[in-house]
Amino acid sequence: MMQAMVALSKRELIRFFRQGHRVVGSVAQPVLFWVLLGSGFSASFQAPGYPGLSYSEYFFPGILLMVVLFSGIFSTITVIEDRNQGLLQGVLVSPAPRMAIVLGKVIGAMAIGLLQALFFMLAIPFLGMDPSFANLLLLLLGLVVAALGFTALGFLIAWNMESTAGFHAIMSVFLLPLWMLSGALFPMEQAPVWLESIMLVNPVSHALVLIRLPLYHSTEVLLANPDYLTAFAIAVAWAMGMLLLALRQIKRPDCSAPAPTS
Amino acid sequence: MISIQKLDYYYAVKKQPARCALSDISLQIDPGTLFTLTGPNGGGKSTLFRLLCGLSLPAQGEIRLNGLDLQHHAAEARRLTGVVFQSPALDKHLTLLENFTIHRDLHQLPQALFSSRLEEDMAWTGLAGRLHERVGTLSGGMARRVELVKALLHRPKIVLMDEPTNGLDPGGRRDFLQVIDRLRQERQMTVLMTSHLFDEAERADQVGILHQGTLLAVGSPSQLRDRLGQEMVVIQGKDRQQALFLSQLLEKKPGLSIHHRESELRVEGIDSATLNNLLTDHREQFQTLSVKKPTLEDLFIHLTEQQRGHSS
Ligand SMILES: Nc1ncnc2c1ncn2[C@@H]1O[C@H](COP(=O)(O)OP(=O)(O)O)[C@@H](O)[C@H]1O
Ligand SMILES: [Mg+2]
Repeated sequence: MMQAMVALSKRELIRFFRQGHRVVGSVAQPVLFWVLLGSGFSASFQAPGYPGLSYSEYFFPGILLMVVLFSGIFSTITVIEDRNQGLLQGVLVSPAPRMAIVLGKVIGAMAIGLLQALFFMLAIPFLGMDPSFANLLLLLLGLVVAALGFTALGFLIAWNMESTAGFHAIMSVFLLPLWMLSGALFPMEQAPVWLESIMLVNPVSHALVLIRLPLYHSTEVLLANPDYLTAFAIAVAWAMGMLLLALRQIKRPDCSAPAPTS
Repeated sequence: MISIQKLDYYYAVKKQPARCALSDISLQIDPGTLFTLTGPNGGGKSTLFRLLCGLSLPAQGEIRLNGLDLQHHAAEARRLTGVVFQSPALDKHLTLLENFTIHRDLHQLPQALFSSRLEEDMAWTGLAGRLHERVGTLSGGMARRVELVKALLHRPKIVLMDEPTNGLDPGGRRDFLQVIDRLRQERQMTVLMTSHLFDEAERADQVGILHQGTLLAVGSPSQLRDRLGQEMVVIQGKDRQQALFLSQLLEKKPGLSIHHRESELRVEGIDSATLNNLLTDHREQFQTLSVKKPTLEDLFIHLTEQQRGHSS
């Protein structure tokens, strides 16, 4: 199980780094977002509960989340390419446990996003934040849990898609709004009630809590904070659920249509 | 050993009744046999292949690989099966060795065994020096050989290949088929391959002709050819008109079986008197006349015309 999973995730990473345009695009896009949005909003911005916070700083956890979510999810688009090229079929006819095949893809795709997030975390000291080492570990753990769930979701969607164009379409009408309505772009407290309730059931909002809070609160406070713990539980449950759904999906071979009754 | 029992498969089609791709297929392939599934495109070869790989499930029927029921013992069956797909299953961005290594890990082969097998098999590909090059740099023929090496690394007892020679030039086809034939004898493998080319099927021990989802015929190439009798005469008429005339002329003789297509006539059971008569009195009506041994393609034409005759 481990051997197959490691081999398949490694393949994802090798492919990623050998396709230069993917590397450049994955770094350039979030930097652009951050710079453009950060400078556009900054003058008028006031976040409740975070007095004196600049918009660039407020927006930073959202960018970290965007990096792991988008990069992870869009890397699962390779499921579609793999199938069209025949690589996927080659793996499916091997005796490797099906869970190893799911995790191989998901962890490989997730690792790409995490590497980018690590790169962005280099900005933390320059934003005037000073989280402890333990907090950084909690932040990383949050990123991993969030990325797992959403990358597995990407896998699920990609599995049922025939073209990469369809995948892009679904992602832009589905994932982008979820991210925007998570509190990444503007604080939930300022939103109208109907929007706030959407934010509450939005799994991305809970993932964001796992990333924002460790940047500001000490480890002891975090581990006693019910909001943080709830978000953590929800994110873990979401990740488990998505992985199990992906497993169920991949285990089901294409069944013959029923014989026509005539 | 591959055994297939009463297999049916349907594709769902939008706003129409399901399309039958395989109907009542039963087949028994003995150990060590090279079995070629042939027939025109759309006959159902790839559908049957996917079922044999366990990538899809039939509406009805059962497949056993070396006695293992595919539906309930998929993992065990996969361990003893090697698969070569019509489209390449190698990652172009990775080197040959990286591709092989993934296969090693999927099958959990010990490193020592992996290395020795790889060395043994790369020897006949002539590509041993290119292990560290990316697969994308290989020509089509080379990539096919690498594909075969990969499929055989875990030393499968059963090898399944869908149109493995697709895209190769005639020389490449011949080489590939020769390698398959040698390896399956050395390693006692049961090989099932598909090919839409009837002449590729002539090299097999056993052939199955699949057409419109049904097995028209199964047997060794010589058994199948014998069904057509010894020889047939192929007459290329000067034009359709003349061909029609000759066809009508020959239809008057008893015991002849005539297939007429465009300006070509295929006649079975012709006797020397009739042949002489054609050559002396009707030389103006045809361009060429040849006597040839029947091929599998001739049998296919014969069987499908027979079918048409029954249904009309
Ligand atoms: N995904 C599919 N959906 C609907 N029909 C299909 C699909 N794949 C194949 N078919 C149909 O099933 C029949 C058999 O196809 P196939 O097994 O690919 O034949 P072959 O490999 O012999 O060319 C054809 O009529 C083809 O059109
Ligand atoms: Mg085919």
